[in-house]
Amino acid sequence: MTLANPRVGWEKIGTEFYRKTTLYASTFDSDLDLENYHCVGAPFSGALALWRDTNKVTRYRTGASNKTSIDIYSCSGKLISKLNWEKGSIQGLDWSEDERLLVVAEDGTFHVYFGLHGDFHPYSLGHGAEDIGVSSVRFWSHGFVALLKNNALVAVNSFDEPRPRLLAGAPEGEVHAWNLIPPAHTLSRSVEALLAVGASVYVLDVNEAEDRGLTDGPFKHISVSPNGRFAALFTEDGKVWVVGSDFQNKYSEYDSKAKTTPNQIYWCGNDSVVLAWEDEIHMVGPNGVAAKYYYDDIVHVVPDVDGVRLITSESCEFLQKVPDECEDVFKMGSNSPSSILFDSIDLLEKKSPKADENIQRIKASLPEAVETCIRAAGHESDHALQKQLLRAASFGKSVLDLYSSDEFVEMCETLRVLNAVRDHQIGFPLTLAQYSQLRPDRLITRLIHRREYLLAIKLSEFLRLPLNKIYVHWASQKVKASGGNDENVRDVVVDRLKGKHGISFEVIARAAYEEGRGNLATSLLNHEPRAGKQVPLLLSMEEDEVALDKAIESGDSDLIMFVLLHLKQKMPLATFFRIVNSKPQAARLIEASAHDQDKELLKDMYYQDDRPIEGSDLLLEEAMEQPQVQAVIDKLKLASRLLTDAKDPNAVMHTKGFAEASVLLRMQEAFDREITDSSGSYIGLSVNETMFRLVRSGYGKRAAKVQSEFKVPEKTWWWVRLRALVAARLWGDVEEIGKSRKSPIGWEPFYNEVLGAGNTRLASSFIPKCTNLKPQERIEMWVKCGLVNKAGEEALKAKDMNTLEQLRDKATGPQLAEIERMITQLRPRR
Amino acid sequence: MAPNIDREAEHIKEKARKDLLALLENVRGKKNLVFSRDLPGIIGLFVGFSTLKEYGVEKVFVLENGNTDSSQRNIIYVVNGEDPATVQAVAGQVKQLQKNGNVEHEVTIAWVPRRTLVSNKILEDEGVLGDVNIQELQILFLPLENDLLSLELSNSFQDLYLHGDKSPIYLASRALMQIQQRHGLFPRILGKGHNARQLANLLVRARKELDADEANTPYTTMPSTSIESLVVIDRDVDFATPLLTQLTYEGLIEELNGIKHNKAEIDSSLLGAAGQSRPSGAGLATAPSTQPSRPTLKQAVQLDSTDPLYHQLRSVNFALIGPLLNKVARRLQTDFEGRHKAQEINELRDFVNKLPTYKEEHKSLALHTNLADDMTKHTRSEPFNRSLEVQQNIAAGTDPIYQHDTMDELLSRDVPLPTILRLLCLESTISGGLRTKDLDTFKRAILHAHGHQHLLTLSRLEKMQLLQPRTSASALLLPVGGGSTITSTSTTGTKTNYGYLRKELSMIIEEYNEQDPDDISYVYSGYAPLSVRIVQCILQKSYLQHLHKSPLPLTPSSTGWSGFEDILKSAKGPTFNVVQKPTDEKASKAKNALVGSGGWKYVFVMFLGGITFAEVAALRFVGRKLEEGGQRRKIVICTTGMVSGRSIMEGVIEKKGLGSGIKVDSGAQV
Repeated sequence: MTLANPRVGWEKIGTEFYRKTTLYASTFDSDLDLENYHCVGAPFSGALALWRDTNKVTRYRTGASNKTSIDIYSCSGKLISKLNWEKGSIQGLDWSEDERLLVVAEDGTFHVYFGLHGDFHPYSLGHGAEDIGVSSVRFWSHGFVALLKNNALVAVNSFDEPRPRLLAGAPEGEVHAWNLIPPAHTLSRSVEALLAVGASVYVLDVNEAEDRGLTDGPFKHISVSPNGRFAALFTEDGKVWVVGSDFQNKYSEYDSKAKTTPNQIYWCGNDSVVLAWEDEIHMVGPNGVAAKYYYDDIVHVVPDVDGVRLITSESCEFLQKVPDECEDVFKMGSNSPSSILFDSIDLLEKKSPKADENIQRIKASLPEAVETCIRAAGHESDHALQKQLLRAASFGKSVLDLYSSDEFVEMCETLRVLNAVRDHQIGFPLTLAQYSQLRPDRLITRLIHRREYLLAIKLSEFLRLPLNKIYVHWASQKVKASGGNDENVRDVVVDRLKGKHGISFEVIARAAYEEGRGNLATSLLNHEPRAGKQVPLLLSMEEDEVALDKAIESGDSDLIMFVLLHLKQKMPLATFFRIVNSKPQAARLIEASAHDQDKELLKDMYYQDDRPIEGSDLLLEEAMEQPQVQAVIDKLKLASRLLTDAKDPNAVMHTKGFAEASVLLRMQEAFDREITDSSGSYIGLSVNETMFRLVRSGYGKRAAKVQSEFKVPEKTWWWVRLRALVAARLWGDVEEIGKSRKSPIGWEPFYNEVLGAGNTRLASSFIPKCTNLKPQERIEMWVKCGLVNKAGEEALKAKDMNTLEQLRDKATGPQLAEIERMITQLRPRR
Repeated sequence: MAPNIDREAEHIKEKARKDLLALLENVRGKKNLVFSRDLPGIIGLFVGFSTLKEYGVEKVFVLENGNTDSSQRNIIYVVNGEDPATVQAVAGQVKQLQKNGNVEHEVTIAWVPRRTLVSNKILEDEGVLGDVNIQELQILFLPLENDLLSLELSNSFQDLYLHGDKSPIYLASRALMQIQQRHGLFPRILGKGHNARQLANLLVRARKELDADEANTPYTTMPSTSIESLVVIDRDVDFATPLLTQLTYEGLIEELNGIKHNKAEIDSSLLGAAGQSRPSGAGLATAPSTQPSRPTLKQAVQLDSTDPLYHQLRSVNFALIGPLLNKVARRLQTDFEGRHKAQEINELRDFVNKLPTYKEEHKSLALHTNLADDMTKHTRSEPFNRSLEVQQNIAAGTDPIYQHDTMDELLSRDVPLPTILRLLCLESTISGGLRTKDLDTFKRAILHAHGHQHLLTLSRLEKMQLLQPRTSASALLLPVGGGSTITSTSTTGTKTNYGYLRKELSMIIEEYNEQDPDDISYVYSGYAPLSVRIVQCILQKSYLQHLHKSPLPLTPSSTGWSGFEDILKSAKGPTFNVVQKPTDEKASKAKNALVGSGGWKYVFVMFLGGITFAEVAALRFVGRKLEEGGQRRKIVICTTGMVSGRSIMEGVIEKKGLGSGIKVDSGAQV
């Protein structure tokens, strides 16, 4: 087997090696005149978007449609799809990191195409872009900045929920060139734009525009390195400067000696700059040394994370710095261990003993050599070379005593994947570096978008990745593409997906719905377990009641409320109530939320639902907000009117309550007029409070009137009066009451309340009236008033010697004598 | 191995903290923070105000105050998005900010605990959706203690039983789902009550959704090896318990002062020297810009087991607090006096090293002594004792008619409305409603004593079925145990029959050892909360058998509800038992074999609609008993929020009066 020379296309620039490899030959249809097209490629060897350069005159071909379209190709030149574009002049077009296509039109509208087949979300830039017009656009992996024709800059930070924001005002004058530093690489973590205006460069973010104070402009191109640390500037006199992105240091300079300004300059990795003219490429390395490549025809440069792809009509090439491992193995005259290991394979095949000799010589560094060979295999696209390198690694590790083969096995797996997707048919010339950044799951997603289902499934199984997305995508396409009647399609889909995990039927149903197959969508949606996914789709399909049912089933109040809000907006109120009332849970949610926000709605609802008491409660609430007594009473009247026909006891209680409240208010109004002491307004007090206040202020008669008006029970009245009198310390009145023969609440409370207020004399006067208490309790009452002798008498009456003796300890002075006397009196005579 | 379940509380806290700080970090530069009402307290559970400052927060506002200023360009709203009114308020404020102020604001909204469709719609309708950054801050369960996870929904009780809004159940299912995602499926879900049943349904459903969402973790396909079961109790199975006055120390603090997010607002006069020692926790709630100084000085005091003394006191019956404090004071005294004995330098050094601890302990002792002292003033007051007496009598099953006189008197004496309503509701729940005549009399008396606006209060209580007339129809529906012909066919009771359950589950323990209680009933001084008894039906079968006079249909190997199915038919709502099977039977078996069965097993007990501190104490007591009995089982308590009779009534009682709207000018005549 003869190996291709691994050093084909290597070029030494300064001290570094660069290589240009041909990824695919005979790529594009010869009819396609690349010269007349713009070409932009997605990162990670993704798709290419081609659209006609309107500045170029094209040959009119009969039959060719002159509609503008954006054509999506794979790197191998296979047409993936054609997107129609009707929004006028394209001012900016690029790919996001996840292979969504962004197209910005002159009027500020921009479309985010996802899935490579024409599905898109339209957005608009706003900020006056529609009138002013977009001049040009620069993109980064997750956003873009548009330069309007008045030098205003509008930034969009996310493609999922774009929120265009104006950056700080740019300086006046012609913008010679501009670019941006992605948020990930700036100090402020927000995007910064670099504008070459006049002889200098301005840096703009949301807050301010800062002049970097350069004097050697105007600069015709600005390009920022992928890691954001360097910027390449192209001066008017044909020089390239590489400076730090903070414009403090200049690292290198290269004189292109070109008369014309290059079309564009790009970074190739982080250490070299590519200047691209129509048919000429300059590759400028770290120290201002360059390699030049010439082409017969136009060449498009597509930058990628670790190099640039060069697209011509005939081929797709990749230009990159030679990976360290490859350099280590293949460099001319290299005597690194890995290189020796690689050479020994040849010797081994020739059964030469020198193979072993070599191995022994590098034994010390063999593990590293093996590792290098494995990695180098990953960086090569030629199958034979890969094999040879792996063979070398395998040979090397067989000599080692202890060696974990994980890396070897992993690389073999990775290479199988890479080789599979690099196939001309698929057209994914991923490098190892790109693959490890892209990650397998996103590679699968890309394959799905290309509808390479079989390969996607095979790879997923091989890589042990979930298959669900592939099935869902397949099913969505199936639903869109197949004619047949709905049942058949559904059965095919459901059958195929039975028992598979993680299937989102909502996505499939949505595809069906978008295809105008509502019934199919509904029946597919029944298989979706997530209500959160079912409901919005059902609503957009106008399956309102089903949506409400599903929402209720989910138990998620948010979903239910969402449906209800939706329904309320689109339906007449009566229909809305009819639907809601049959679903108690929904009805109660409406009740709860309307109570805070929309009382009128609630009134209607109670009326329609025949719930007069709740309706009247609402009016009572309103009554409490009225500013005048009359208004309160009017509301109360309205409230009781609602209840006129209601017969149940609760309604009667309410009606009565409203009536009482009105009467009370009237009385209180009168009190406020008549009584002008400083105790404040009576309005709003309860019946008991009103009585209390009146008694306390010495208006016992009026209080009694209140009592009789509201038929306040005697017990309550006595309590309220007692408390009020004590509070006002109207002892005379208390005494007066004490003269009554009977109290409905007994006399104990009188004793307690008066004592509590500190009047022992008056308190003690109630003790004899507490006839239903035990002597012991009365004794205690006396003691609390400080009347020990009275207590003694009580004890004497009860012939309680023990207590008497206890009392003796408490007694002092004359009381003591008294107690002694009683004790002797009670002591049995001997 | 699944993540360590012992550390679940810690993990949750840490995650919440990280998420919040990441959110702050994502907004560069200085910023103002706006919280919706409940959030400062909740956030205070896992991050301090000073930390927020470190992350560039300049000022903190409360959304409802509407005083957000425009001093910073960056404004972050951290707001609960479940309530449409709050969303509306946010939209309004954002619009306001855009209109006035010369700075262009950079507004970020973080919805807690999730971004809702409704919030999207409202923001869209208001035309601000495109102008704000929207994020989610997924805060569901929050650990109040290591064994107590709460959603801290302040209105879960009202939402569930008054408004019929089931969102607490849904949020609970999300929170429990997170536990399952980390530790595996609950092998068994047991529960009692309608809402509990719904929660179980949601969990089963969520498992399917998870599959379609590709949010499966290695744990969601098979039952957990560290969790034994999930027990779900619907609050409405046992309304009576929260209506009773809690008699543990912590419970009483809640009843008298209120505890929110582990903090109690205590009159600063009670704090004395202790006041300075534990300044208002994280300081979030009292950040100067958020609250104007109030006339009555109250201070937020952190109450959790970082204070060892509180840890010791919280679950103890209040009667024992005095002696306990006394003992601690003495010990502290002797320890402190120990300094005189210190002769050698190293002894002295030991002492000095301990000084800060003494100081802490001393402060905490001062605080709790003052608190307990203040409490005693209440507990010795006549109305308190009268109402307690009524409660105990009703709970013990004496004819409530005999209590009506006392209740009448309390009403006339102007005791606070919550007290009287609790008594009425208690009677209604325990004896299946009040006689219509009595009910009407009481209602009238309440309207007279406290104002006619309470027609609304009464309507609400009726709607919640806390206060009901005892109609013949509902008396018929009152299930009377397993043998009843009416309920024998279904396991669904429509009302909890306390009379029957009191006997069957020995809910009243007349005599118990106060010093060293041997039954959970100590938390209500003789009444064992039904809710916890139901949990004991699963965890402590033999203990309940021991209390029960006649033998129950039990075998030593009984699991789940077995043995108690018939009895529990007399409690409201369905009794259920769901076994969650692994997706892959074989793999699960293999794994089980691998793990073995030696480790501790956790039982998650979820209270929907809230749990009282006394019940928490009771459950912890059960947990200790299990441990002492040599069962390697631990209880983790989960709830939608803490609840008490106080907080229930606070949520129900109408706050406005009939004169609320009237501007008093007649008073100006003076």
